[in-house]
Amino acid sequence: MANATDVAETNAPARKLPVEANIFLVLIGIAVFFEVLGWIVKGDTFLFNPQRLLIMVLQVSIIGLLAIGVTQVIITGGIDLSSGSVLALSAMVAASFAQTSDYTRAVFPMFTDMPFLVPVLAGIAVGALAGFINGSLIAYTAIPPFIATLGMMVTARGLARYYTKGQPISLLSEEYMWLGSGTIPVIIFLMAAFIFHIALRFTRYGKFTYATGANVQAAKVSGINVGRHLIKVYTLAGLLAGLGGVVAAARAGSGQAGMGLAYELDAIAAAVIGGTSLAGGVGRITGTVIGTIILGTMMSGFTFLGIDAYIQDIVKGGIIVAAVVADQYRQRKRAKV
Amino acid sequence: MKRTLLALAASAMMTTSVMAENIGVSMAYFDDNFLTILRNAMGDEAASAGGVEIQFEDARGDIGKQIDQVQNFVAQGVDAIIVNPADTSATPRITKLANSAGIPLVYVNRKPEDKELPEKVVFVGSDEVVAGRLQMEELAKQMGGKGNVAIMLGELASNGTRGRTQGVKEVLGSYPDITVVEEQTADFQRSEAIDLMNNWIVSGTKIDAVAANNDEMALGALIAMKQAGIAASDIAVAGVDATPDALASMKRGQLFATVFQDAKGQGAGSVKAALKLARGEKVDTIVWIPFKLVNKENLGEFLDK
Repeated sequence: MANATDVAETNAPARKLPVEANIFLVLIGIAVFFEVLGWIVKGDTFLFNPQRLLIMVLQVSIIGLLAIGVTQVIITGGIDLSSGSVLALSAMVAASFAQTSDYTRAVFPMFTDMPFLVPVLAGIAVGALAGFINGSLIAYTAIPPFIATLGMMVTARGLARYYTKGQPISLLSEEYMWLGSGTIPVIIFLMAAFIFHIALRFTRYGKFTYATGANVQAAKVSGINVGRHLIKVYTLAGLLAGLGGVVAAARAGSGQAGMGLAYELDAIAAAVIGGTSLAGGVGRITGTVIGTIILGTMMSGFTFLGIDAYIQDIVKGGIIVAAVVADQYRQRKRAKV
Repeated sequence: MKRTLLALAASAMMTTSVMAENIGVSMAYFDDNFLTILRNAMGDEAASAGGVEIQFEDARGDIGKQIDQVQNFVAQGVDAIIVNPADTSATPRITKLANSAGIPLVYVNRKPEDKELPEKVVFVGSDEVVAGRLQMEELAKQMGGKGNVAIMLGELASNGTRGRTQGVKEVLGSYPDITVVEEQTADFQRSEAIDLMNNWIVSGTKIDAVAANNDEMALGALIAMKQAGIAASDIAVAGVDATPDALASMKRGQLFATVFQDAKGQGAGSVKAALKLARGEKVDTIVWIPFKLVNKENLGEFLDK
């Protein structure tokens, strides 16, 4: 698919649109759809409300962080099912180091009132460690990424529950909760997106990532240490999930073992909607960001229109598939021209 | 048949030898916070009744495991079985097992989905509908009987969501001036509730009260309000469960009200019912343990529970 697009681009240099243009059109289409329905149903605007535009991104920033990680994993030809559970575990660990001393039942009474960097680093480190284990398993035991990360998904969720026997960890310091307030989650999400966009497009790390996913044999022959590179990619994905957990706990003012349930699937959906191919070798962070915002737009749109809670997921599933079909169709058409 | 005979023989032996009751309990989960309080209350009740042997098993949410455990209890010839169903739709099998062995059976906390419970099989629990009613009554009073209410639904397939929401709506039937302006799900989760409340606030619909199916979502709604600069006094938010976080929030004057589900009452009630049945006394098919409203006035008695 990537080759076909490249060919189309060289044949018609006048229309040299990036691949993301397609999926961006889908986003615009969905937004306009809600705008029109908004005027019909509620007599009110959907898009021309800056508060709502912010919320559309805010509510998916945490899923977006996971999606940035899973995009890179999928580009290498793998998959990461563990991100939602790793998020929960990191949220629990981070929260346990962010409690204030006026809470009488703190998890670690000797570690209350810690400076805000302690819980942040603890959460991120736990995520990175989980990712490192994923990567090592895949690189050295050669089990499929689906299985390795499925195992981590179950284990990390179990650990998150075991950590406090299912009790939420609450009363976190104001300083720590700042990370989850206002537009901070959006800023963290977009900054992470920017960093990894640069890393994938302009560094050796990015070249290796695409090369591994496009053709493992060729990558090995050309001297890439594929095993070591996979460990890097999965560790970074875990780190991003850890960061997601840190932000999630800060946002809710509480670490909870049930956090991020099924987020891994939303993250994968965001990546795939954004044009990342599950076959590997193809995908961009910009596309994933747009894919993530499509999910956020749908969430806000459904609530805005007051669509019955019982049918929202039915519609959401349909739109996800339709968005990808529309994207593929447009790409194919362009390739033919 | 053999097993039944064996069970009868065993139970006959036990009752004649020590005159002490033997109760087998199969819990859906050991590690669930609420169910742990309930389980401890069972142990306490059994200890205070004197000479009652109580044995706990953890089904770990697995209905197959739970059925095995009940079969083991039957084989052991216990005097009564208490089951906290791992899955309410599978209870008819358990009912049949205990009933054919003639052993009294008490379901606790989660309502079994049997069409009809036979003799010597009872349910001890709380009526979710009542929780919704108590919550909405308190909100309606605060609203002065008029205004806009938003309902935050829990996980859509859960009994709690259906029952509590039904209760809220029953109350609204007698308040024609209160309108339900929003009704959406946040899956019982705090984070999801923040996003949902954000979207509601942005929609510009005037909301006077939020009736959330659980406390976690109520707390999420309050976080969203705080970030949007809306005071807790402008929108009355009520939850259900009376979790420690919720009570702490009430103490700070944030959460308006919650509803206490009496885990201790349910645990003690189930053991009491089991003992009565084992002694051949009659027990109502359904024993309701009342929910209790928690508001500003009575917050103190719940804070140290």
